[in-house]
Amino acid sequence: MKLTAFTQIIVTIAVTAWVFILPVEAVATILVIELALLLYIKHDRMTMAAIGGLAVFTGTMVLLQLLFGTPLEQSLIGGLRMLVMTMAFLCMLAATRIQDIAKALVDRFRLPCEYAFMLTTALRFVPNFLTDSAITLDAQSCRGYSNRGNIVKRFLAYLVVIRPLVMRAVAKSETLALSMELKGFGGNTYKNMPSEPLGFADYLVLLLVVVLSTYPFWIEYI
Amino acid sequence: MMESAIQLQDFYFAYKKSDIVLHDININVRKGSFTVLAGPSGAGKTTLCKAMTGIVPYYMGGRYSGDVKVLGESTRGRRVSDIAMRVGFIMEDYESQLVSLTAGEEIAFSLLNHGFSAKEVAERTRKALEDVGLPGRESYQLDELSGGQRQRLLLAATLAVHPEIIVLDEPVSAMDPDGAISLYKLVYDIHKAYGTTIVAVEHRTDYLLPYVTDLIALKEGRVIASDSFEAAAPKMYADPELRCLLPSLWQVKLGLEERFGVDLGDWRSEQDALADLKTYKFERRAD
Repeated sequence: MKLTAFTQIIVTIAVTAWVFILPVEAVATILVIELALLLYIKHDRMTMAAIGGLAVFTGTMVLLQLLFGTPLEQSLIGGLRMLVMTMAFLCMLAATRIQDIAKALVDRFRLPCEYAFMLTTALRFVPNFLTDSAITLDAQSCRGYSNRGNIVKRFLAYLVVIRPLVMRAVAKSETLALSMELKGFGGNTYKNMPSEPLGFADYLVLLLVVVLSTYPFWIEYI
Repeated sequence: MMESAIQLQDFYFAYKKSDIVLHDININVRKGSFTVLAGPSGAGKTTLCKAMTGIVPYYMGGRYSGDVKVLGESTRGRRVSDIAMRVGFIMEDYESQLVSLTAGEEIAFSLLNHGFSAKEVAERTRKALEDVGLPGRESYQLDELSGGQRQRLLLAATLAVHPEIIVLDEPVSAMDPDGAISLYKLVYDIHKAYGTTIVAVEHRTDYLLPYVTDLIALKEGRVIASDSFEAAAPKMYADPELRCLLPSLWQVKLGLEERFGVDLGDWRSEQDALADLKTYKFERRAD
C-alpha cells in the first residue's frame, strides 16, 4: 500500500492534532503504530539514532517539567504527546521522498515554489556543508585554532571557523542561484513534474483521518 | 567565412561599484569551433563567459555598452534561461550547480522548467546519461556519484537541452589530470558528434591542444589575440605574461621557430613534434 505525499502530509498534520483531542491511551497506541511503521519502512542506523535522539530529548523535556513543579502524570503525558508528534514527521520523512513532499506542498497546499525548493536544496547541501565545515576546521586548526578553555572562550574561538564557513556558503549559494536561473527555475518547476493521483488507499486513510479528527464530536453526540 | 556563434561588438562592462572589467571586446566565436579562452587570473575570462550567456549584464547588473549576439540574436532583453537553451554554461564550482537529489532529476530539471513532456524528458535524460558514460544512472543519488561522475552529470544536464554552444569555465580545475583528460575527450566527442560549438576557459591548455581550433587570449580585460589557434598562439607567445599559458609543446615550437628561424608544423601531440623535429637538424649554439 503506497500513500501519496499529500496523504502523508495530511496524516502528519492530523497526528499533531490527535495528540490533543484523543485519549492518552489512543495517543500511546499511535506511538506504537508509528514505531512499528518506522521500523518496517527503515531500520538502518540513522533511523535508530533518530529514534534514540528523540527519546533522549523527550526524557529531558519530562525531567525539566518535573523540575518546574509539573505533576509526574502531566509531565509524562506532555512528553508522550511531543514524542508522537515528532515521530509522525520522522515517519513521513522515512516513507516519502523529500521531492514528492515539496511537489505536494506546491501542488496541493499552494506553497510558493521557492519555499518548497528550499526543502530539497537544504537536504542536497547538508553533506556539502558538513564537508566544508570539516575542511574549514582543519584549515583553521593548522593556523592555531584550538577549542580549549571554558565555554565562552570556545565559542569565541569557534568564530574563526564560522566566518569562512559562512562566506563559503554564501559564495556557493550565489552559484546555486545562478545555476537555477540558467535552468529556468520558476512556476513551471513543480507544475511540469509527473503528478501523483490519489488512490483507493489514500481515500481510505483520509476517511480515517476525518473520523479520528472529529472524535470529540462523536463522543458528544453519538 | 564561417558563420558566427557568438559575437561581441565594442563590448565594455563594469560590475556595480567596480572599475571596467572588460574593455572594448570585439570577438567572433565561429560556429562549430572548439575555442579556448586563456588569460592570467583576473583577466576577465569568467566575466566574458558570463557575457556570452547573457548573465552579464542582465542577471548580475552593472554598467555596459556594446552588444552581444548569440547565434545572430542580441542577448538584450532576453531571459537568461531562454539563452541557456541555446548556450549551455558550466561554471567552475560544479558541486554547487547540481540542484537536485538524483541524477535523473538533475537532468530533467531544466527540461521540465521549459515545458517538455514527461516522455521527451525521460528519453533525453536517458540519452544524455548515455552520452557522458553514465547509462542507467537515473535513480542514483548525487552522493553515490564520484566527483568526476558529478562533473559528467552536469555536462549531461547541459547536453539534454541540446544547446548549440557550450561554454565551460575551468571545468577541470578540481580534477586530477586523468579525470581532466577524460572530461575534455568527452567534450570533444560531443563537439564532433553534434557539431556543438565549444568555448572552454582553461589555464592548463595542454589538455586541449589536440582539440583546439580557435584561441582567444585575454589580459587585463582586453583581447590580446582572437583568431585560429595557429594564428593566435604566436601573439600570445610574444607576451611574456601569456606565454606560459600556451600548451608546453607550442612554447617549445614557437621558441624553436624564433631562435632558429624555421617554420615548424602544427603540433598537436608529442608524436607530431617528434616527427617534425626529425626532419630538421638543430645545431647547439654556444650562446
